[in-house]
Amino acid sequence: MSAIIKTTHLTKAYGTQKAVDNLHMTVEQGQIYGFLGQNGAGKTTTIRMLLGLIKPTQGQIEIFGENLLTKQKEILRRVGSIVEFSGFYENLTARENLLINAKLMGVHKKNAIEEALEIVGLQNEPAKLVGKYSLGMKQRLGIARAILHHPELLILDEPTNGLDPIGIKEIRKLITTLAEERKITILISSHILSEVEQLADQIGIIHQGKLLEEISFAELRTRNRKFLEFQVSNDNKAAMLLEQRFDIFDYEVHDDGKIRVYSHIGQQGKINKMLVEHDIEVSRIALSEDRLEDYFIKLIGGGTIG
Amino acid sequence: MVNLVYTELLKLKRAKMFMVSLIGAAAAPLMVFIGYLDYKAKKPDMPVLFSEAFSQTNLYVLLLIGTLLYGVITAYLFNREYVEDTLKNLLTIPVSKISFIASKLVLLFIWILVLTLVAWGLTFILGWIGQYEGLSAGVLLQSLKQFLIGGSLLFLLSTPTIFVTFLFKNYVPTIIFTAVITMGNVALANREYKALYPWSAVHLIADNGFVPEYPPLYSYAAIIATAIIGLIATIVYFKKADIH
Ligand SMILES: Nc1ncnc2c1ncn2[C@@H]1O[C@H](COP(=O)(O)OP(=O)(O)O)[C@@H](O)[C@H]1O
Ligand SMILES: [Mg+2]
Repeated sequence: MSAIIKTTHLTKAYGTQKAVDNLHMTVEQGQIYGFLGQNGAGKTTTIRMLLGLIKPTQGQIEIFGENLLTKQKEILRRVGSIVEFSGFYENLTARENLLINAKLMGVHKKNAIEEALEIVGLQNEPAKLVGKYSLGMKQRLGIARAILHHPELLILDEPTNGLDPIGIKEIRKLITTLAEERKITILISSHILSEVEQLADQIGIIHQGKLLEEISFAELRTRNRKFLEFQVSNDNKAAMLLEQRFDIFDYEVHDDGKIRVYSHIGQQGKINKMLVEHDIEVSRIALSEDRLEDYFIKLIGGGTIG
Repeated sequence: MVNLVYTELLKLKRAKMFMVSLIGAAAAPLMVFIGYLDYKAKKPDMPVLFSEAFSQTNLYVLLLIGTLLYGVITAYLFNREYVEDTLKNLLTIPVSKISFIASKLVLLFIWILVLTLVAWGLTFILGWIGQYEGLSAGVLLQSLKQFLIGGSLLFLLSTPTIFVTFLFKNYVPTIIFTAVITMGNVALANREYKALYPWSAVHLIADNGFVPEYPPLYSYAAIIATAIIGLIATIVYFKKADIH
């Protein structure tokens, strides 16, 4: 595998605030890379730098193994992108908007525009002006514009932002299809974990401008730990008893009397009996796995995502 | 570059701004024509000359309506890429920032020429309806030359307006800027400094109405210096500006 995107020490400062802080990111060929972070984490700023729209304060960007600074034009010809919301000339139709890109990129294939519109399902309203499009249609048209010239790398910044669940599902399907059929490497950013979870091979988690982790989903799953969850009436007392009677120290107390025990899987019966004997009501016992979301929240130190 | 200019033209398809600008360009000939009707009502025996009508119309176009109208279309051409959020698409295609500015300038020049010809043509038609006198090929050619020179020089002076548009990315400061320029024209109308103020110097050159205090060279120099400074400021600023 070879790296399609590689950043080193990538930093963008606005005044004293570092919107992107010393980012080392690697996207390998053929991957769908989920770039995950809360609102304001620095995703769009990173993507703008990858596309040469803003200049890094520090650091290097290599795309297709070439330096973006010196080979920007050549590199960008092989990239398709959406940054935040897609802007269009609202007095023109979808075809006319795409024609502008086709002309300027030297896409000469006669049916390239038709093909792109068909892929995103916008071929049926040739006369409608883009000003009359819904947000979902605009985002799909944005994807059509991004793939018009058959790029090898697609950079999509929150392509499902503001869409309804059906729209989100459609875009997700579209992205999977593009990755499979055209073998495009895709970088997709999102602040919603569940969205990239179903798409990505690899995720990079960005928080307050820093890349906290870059990990493949396969590896992430092996890391997820099983635990027993007890819903108890008195969590303080229960925790003390777990330590004294069973030597259990690998546990967490969560809200409203939930205790997660990461060892002694299979001994829930015994533990339950002991708790009940000490006058603790156990209203629920469950065997579960750390969800990705919990992992994520732990990683960024509290707060919520999605 | 041909493709870029073609796409710039395409972007104007169905654009209301183009129609509105045509109405704006019709304002000066209409004003002069209304003045003529008034004059005829008071002094029915006095002849009105074509050359007079052309020269008056050009005066209004260059000193009042043109600076405002061309300022507004300049702001529209450049600012709409920010308003409609299309600039990032263009620059990631990628189109170089210099060719982007160049293609917009070509279109602006064409647009200003069209408006100039509309003003000239309408003056001619209204004069024909009103039966002005003294029509000759010489008068037509001379006036056309004056209109075209004036329009072209005002086009050169659009570069500071472009800079203001890029700087603020908003119509309001640009319109205030062009209003102030127009005020300058009015304030200097009867003073010899009008030869040095680039925007009123345009009219002096087009109309050959130089003042004895300052040789024509000063007027040309004022216009060219302003245009070049505006262009350099625009390019330098836009080249290093982050695109958000
Ligand atoms: N042009 C700018 N000027 C100042 N601060 C900015 C600018 N753009 C982004 N920021 C700041 O940088 C941080 C990261 O923003 P952004 O990259 O848009 O986050 P995300 O896309 O992950 O939501 C935010 O704190 C934001 O306020
Ligand atoms: Mg963002």
